[in-house]
Amino acid sequence: MNAIEFILAGMLAAATPFLLAALGELVVERAGVLNLGVEGLMAVGAVIAFIIVYHGGGHFLGFIAAGFASAALSLIFALIALGFRANQVATGLAIGILGQGLSALFGKTYESLTVKGLPKIAIPGLSDLPVVGGLFAQDIVVWLSLLATLAIWATFAFTKTGLVIRAVGENPKAAHAIGYPVIGVRVAAVAFGGMMAGFAGAYASVIYTPLWADGMIAGRGWIAIALVVFGTWLTGRIFLGACLFGAVSLMSLAAQATGLDLPSQLLSSLPYLVTILVLGIISADRRLLKLNGVASLGEPFER
Amino acid sequence: MTNLTRRTLMKAAAATGLAGALGGRMAFAADEPLGITLVVPSPIGDVGWGHALSASLEPIKAAYGDKVKVTVLENIMEGPDADRIMNKTVADGNKFLIAGSFGYQNGALQIARRNPDVTVLHASGFQIAPNFTPFAAKYFQGSYLLGMAAAAMSKTGKLGSVSAFAIPELITTINAFTLGAQAVKPDIEVSVVWVNSWFDPAKEQEAAKALIAQKCDVIFSNAQDTPSVISACEDAGVYSFNLNSSMKKYAEKTYLGCVATDWSPFFKASVEDHLAGTFKGRNAFLGVAEKVVQVVDWNPAIPADLMTKIKETEAKIADGSFSPFTGPITKADGTEGVAAGATMTDPEIVAMDWHVKGVTTPLPK
Repeated sequence: MNAIEFILAGMLAAATPFLLAALGELVVERAGVLNLGVEGLMAVGAVIAFIIVYHGGGHFLGFIAAGFASAALSLIFALIALGFRANQVATGLAIGILGQGLSALFGKTYESLTVKGLPKIAIPGLSDLPVVGGLFAQDIVVWLSLLATLAIWATFAFTKTGLVIRAVGENPKAAHAIGYPVIGVRVAAVAFGGMMAGFAGAYASVIYTPLWADGMIAGRGWIAIALVVFGTWLTGRIFLGACLFGAVSLMSLAAQATGLDLPSQLLSSLPYLVTILVLGIISADRRLLKLNGVASLGEPFER
Repeated sequence: MTNLTRRTLMKAAAATGLAGALGGRMAFAADEPLGITLVVPSPIGDVGWGHALSASLEPIKAAYGDKVKVTVLENIMEGPDADRIMNKTVADGNKFLIAGSFGYQNGALQIARRNPDVTVLHASGFQIAPNFTPFAAKYFQGSYLLGMAAAAMSKTGKLGSVSAFAIPELITTINAFTLGAQAVKPDIEVSVVWVNSWFDPAKEQEAAKALIAQKCDVIFSNAQDTPSVISACEDAGVYSFNLNSSMKKYAEKTYLGCVATDWSPFFKASVEDHLAGTFKGRNAFLGVAEKVVQVVDWNPAIPADLMTKIKETEAKIADGSFSPFTGPITKADGTEGVAAGATMTDPEIVAMDWHVKGVTTPLPK
């Protein structure tokens, strides 16, 4: 396997934790809510899934429980930020810190333990191709997260549900005036975002790096939030950004392994630089940026 | 409550002053237990750096019983928070502080200066004071031995290392690993991936996979606190080893061995000196000779004749008749590193900032 094959084979799996969390945050922000607690929500999902898989509950149950646990924590955010109309930035940060603390607490006795990941499912024919073959052999969650990307894109592009979420985010007063439950839609969006962050954390702790260690999310939640902004709230661009970030981080490691004469500090920062640069260039049109941005993002709604 | 603490503190200070004046043994430990506090930056698991340090306190607990009171503070971020926590534990009357990370250096040194009756041991630093001893392990002695084994087990002739940061301590372990491998197979090559993080299991695993994709078939997990690299190597069927504490249970088949550290001889001697009032700050750079560095859990698949050679080398390192860093050693850029017959001194080793020939990855500047 050469470096290119290595990058192609690992790219989608490396992108999946970012992609799942960013898709969740996309829906939350489209509804006009800014939840900065993704890092903590991922950590809670990661530890819950790990505990269940470790005790033999299986990966499916682990993911379900992780989704519920993180959704439950995000509902506390919803209660404070939407119910009591507290500042969303501060509330999100607090929930994020709470999540990280809870994950450390639950995971205390599981520190540095390992579980088995999931086997890869190959697409017959395509996975035998030279060079690109590895791209078509991924675990089930990678395939499902690709489906989720499509589903969320289609929801915003074609369905009434998507339009309602966008209306609530763009102009909550108008949405309220024509009879949509603004708070209800926002709470549902926050819970969905929490669930996706839980899945993202679960993927990190029981499939991608099948072990638990306190702090293992290591900033991935923040990158997911950044991807939503740099992807200008568009599903396709967020997908592209996540893949790019995954691919370039693998590339920076592969470059070192092959002995390329570049400083490793530069290589380590490359994923951030390239992702910002590429997404910055494709969203350079200010008019479009304003069009895609969510007008009421972070503003509390009062009738 | 405050009064009581202050009075206790004054009594202890007076006692130490007296002990100092007498210059001899003082058994004030009978009065109240000696408070020993260990502070580490990471959570303590079953393996890793923090585990190695806290496990090394167990023999002291066993030896002194209720004459010592051991407190372990884990997951303490380097920086102001650590300074506050260390000050608090000293104010609570603990007289023996083990600061388990390089980043605690300034805060711990201030505590040592302000409290002459407190003994401080500090991990991998360079500052010394009368009551402040930096300690570090000669991991390179162990990684040399594992390099010999790695060369014999490798079929591709390519070895790899997932390494945290390009600091001298980790550069020397890679260099000794390479030299040990070359002692068995002269043209063997070593690739290094610097993850530029002390703790990111996912990235460490990606790095291990990147090395395996480049046909490296023995991987050195250089300073990772979790079995991230070790378990990825077991899944891929390549040999691996690590530092500090054994991770054999994560890789039953492909675990090559562990450069383990046992700090208990050093901790115990330091506690004894503290109680006797004879503690002196020094640079404690400890290795195989002091039984602080020990290679354990050798893989049974290593050929027996090579194992005999490895054991001979280990004995020579222990009695000081052999050092991995004896010339001639050529640098990776082709210039002379160590002249023929010369041996690097400890201060030269702790400042090493170049790779030996055979390490194919350029060193970050």
